[in-house]
Amino acid sequence: MTAVIQAEHISFRYGPDQPVLQDISFPVQTGTFLAIAGPNGVGKSTLLNILAGLLQPQSGEVLLEGMSLRSCKVQDRARRIAVVQQESVPVFAFSVAETVLMARTPYFGRLGFESETDRELVRQALELTGTAGFAARPLGSLSAGERQRVFIARALAQDTPILLLDEPTSFLDLKHQVRIYDLLKSIQLERHTTIVAVTHDINLAAQYCDEALLLYPRGGRPAEYPHFRIGKTADILTPEEIERAFDVRIISGVVGNERFLIPLGARAKDSDSAGRAG
Amino acid sequence: MPRTLSPGILLTRTTVAAALLVLVMFGCSLIGPQSISLKAVAAGPTSLTGPNPDYEIFLHVRIPRILLAALVGAALGSSGVIFQALLRNPLADPYILGISSGAGLGTMLAVIGGFGWTLWGRSPIAVFAFIGALGTVWLVWGIGRLTGKYHVAGLLLAGVVVNAFFSALIMFLASIAKSQQIHATMFWLMGNMMEEDFLVLWVGAGCIVAGIVALFLLSSQLNIISVGHHDAKSIGVPVGRIEFAAFAISAFITAVAVSLSGLIGFVGLIIPHAIRLLFGPDHRQLLPLSGLAGAIFLVVADTIARTIVAPAQLPVGVITAMVGGPFFLILLVRYSRKVYWLA
Amino acid sequence: MRKWWLLSALLVLWLASGYVMLEPREANVRPGVRCSQQPLRIVSLAPNLTEILFALGLGENVSGLTQDSDYPPAALAKPKVGTFWQPSIEAVIAAKPDLVVTLALEQQKELARRLGRMGYRCLTVDIEKTDDLFQAISAIGDAAGAKEQARELSERIRTEIHRLQAATAAMPKTKVLWVVQREPLRVAGRDTFINEMIELAGGENAIGPTLHKYPSIGAEQVIAAGPEVIIEPVMVRASPGQQHGQVSSYWRRYANVPAVTHGRIYVVDDDVVSRPGPRLPAGVALVAKCLRPELFGE
Repeated sequence: MTAVIQAEHISFRYGPDQPVLQDISFPVQTGTFLAIAGPNGVGKSTLLNILAGLLQPQSGEVLLEGMSLRSCKVQDRARRIAVVQQESVPVFAFSVAETVLMARTPYFGRLGFESETDRELVRQALELTGTAGFAARPLGSLSAGERQRVFIARALAQDTPILLLDEPTSFLDLKHQVRIYDLLKSIQLERHTTIVAVTHDINLAAQYCDEALLLYPRGGRPAEYPHFRIGKTADILTPEEIERAFDVRIISGVVGNERFLIPLGARAKDSDSAGRAG
Repeated sequence: MPRTLSPGILLTRTTVAAALLVLVMFGCSLIGPQSISLKAVAAGPTSLTGPNPDYEIFLHVRIPRILLAALVGAALGSSGVIFQALLRNPLADPYILGISSGAGLGTMLAVIGGFGWTLWGRSPIAVFAFIGALGTVWLVWGIGRLTGKYHVAGLLLAGVVVNAFFSALIMFLASIAKSQQIHATMFWLMGNMMEEDFLVLWVGAGCIVAGIVALFLLSSQLNIISVGHHDAKSIGVPVGRIEFAAFAISAFITAVAVSLSGLIGFVGLIIPHAIRLLFGPDHRQLLPLSGLAGAIFLVVADTIARTIVAPAQLPVGVITAMVGGPFFLILLVRYSRKVYWLA
Repeated sequence: MRKWWLLSALLVLWLASGYVMLEPREANVRPGVRCSQQPLRIVSLAPNLTEILFALGLGENVSGLTQDSDYPPAALAKPKVGTFWQPSIEAVIAAKPDLVVTLALEQQKELARRLGRMGYRCLTVDIEKTDDLFQAISAIGDAAGAKEQARELSERIRTEIHRLQAATAAMPKTKVLWVVQREPLRVAGRDTFINEMIELAGGENAIGPTLHKYPSIGAEQVIAAGPEVIIEPVMVRASPGQQHGQVSSYWRRYANVPAVTHGRIYVVDDDVVSRPGPRLPAGVALVAKCLRPELFGE
């Protein structure tokens, strides 16, 4: 498998004394489903934005199919990569359909109107994300979860081979969390889309993702420990590594082929079950 | 998939609005401090006892003035839409980034400096108002960029600072200048409609209409830009370039409008709001309809301004504020269920 | 990209064709189908211009004047064309003027420009000083075909003024403070028509040269100027006694100013003294009476 995206020695800091990422290099294999996990503030969203070309690292670069992302034109980048950020309510009351249609803006005709192809892609995206039912409503009238799905639909309508998502299920209920991951997985498998998702839910990541990139927090770590580890989810999302990264005690077990990991705090009901089950 | 804007719908609505504008313009040209009749106008330029006053008034006083009001209204309505989109703020108006104080300073300098240049017969006040407006808005843009390429708040703050500073300069100049000149300048700045000669109207019309068409061509991209610049970038819209172009064109047509008629407030603020409430935020529709609605609004407001206390005239800005405010309030109350404003 | 070039090209074409078609030409004065027997119709846009026209015997010809033109009484019956501050172009046109006489105020100059473009004959006169007045009378006389009357009028005015001047020529000048507005206090400075009248009447402006024509001054300057006479023009035709009462009570605070100590504060009719026109001698006489009541009687 080739690496459709190659991150090389990425370092980023928000201010002179606010370093976030230090010398991170990793490949994103074509057609993989990669999860980026780690505690708060470790730089997951920052890393995603750098991969998307929305932030420029102070040193290092991102290669998209071998070419430096920095030198790519915005339009070319948008044909390859679609990004889903955290949901938000825009100032102006666009409807769901109008919002998803905006993904097709670069393909509009001379006077700025969409074609039948664009409309078809939007229709599909709305169907896949289950948002067709309220497509005429303004974004502000939806729940956060519904809005999240609309933004995913918008990214799908962009019809790109690479999809980057920043915590796509953070506001969704269980049913929709599973639905979205099912959807992402089917897109990955049917369209061979490369998907990179920042996620807080390590169990979903274990069940759906092929690979995981775990970022470790800076402080309280012996010098020889790496900033990050990347590999197959089974190798990366282990109880020991999760405990180390997140500074919580983990109870783990096995469902079928994959592990489940449950964090237990001191006051949790089963907190005295030390060690691992299964 | 539910209906989104299509070329057919846009064409229909624009045509209806344009027809309404023509009707209003024609109707208002028959209203004024002197009563004239169409029959008398049709009699031609001369009558038995000398020039035909009805004809003169209609053709050389009313029509140019109404055309001017329509042009300025269209410019302000359209640029209001763009400034609201670029600043992602429904409370923005075309003067927010320093155009008003820039125009004021320009006219002050023209009056104090006693410059006598004319451009196409336009008085130096108008020329300097144009230069002042355009120069100031570029200054604000430049300062705003210092705070960060896409930092909208920085741009707004730069506008506030420049406005405050220039206003102080204006007051200083006003205190050392001869009082009579200042009166005239202040009165002009308050917003007024004078009948211009047809060449001026022709040039102004060309610039403003071309500007509005250009902005329309940018409208589909302004939709996603008004959502967020990260969203726009990730979708493949060259945000920096489009914002710059939209800003430059809007600033230009606003400066043209200001040089034609002084500062007329409220139009650029409430017309986009009202159209957005009625027809939604899609800029491909919002822009042309706001332009046409702005034209209709200002023609009507000007007609009221020049007849209500005839033979004296009120500054048009008084009417736009007094008519526009309550009207907008009613609209807001009726349609607010359709709208979810806040981020 | 092509659409932008197209748009620019269309714009350039539009502007060029406009310039070719509509380039401002010198508007010919309207030939008109006016019969020569018809009397000249004149519109006056200022009260002093109205007074001049009537004084030239052209009262019959006036077909429109501003609302503030209230002298002579015959003027009150004429059609109105707005105020001198805001003349109404439509009303002027409706008065079918052959000649429009305006002052050199910005609005009036603008109006004259616009009317001129439409082919109306306009005469703009700038009356800032006494000399301007004579020039204006002569210009109006020329334009209206009343040269002889204009000469006579100017002669009359000149003679009157010289007479008044001669009466006080040998005497020491009285220091006068001319108040145009009380709160905040504004006075007439040296570079004004009013100053000329004061000097013609044998007085001297208590205020020295100032930057503005009608500067606002503070209490310090009033005391430093030490005027012997204070004159306030008022427009309201209220009882002079009442006016005087208000004025006196205001000036009481300047107890150490000679004018106040000797009670020499005068209220005069604004219309007579503020319009540079045929009533100039009357205005000068009024001022002279304030300065030297013993000489010019009550």
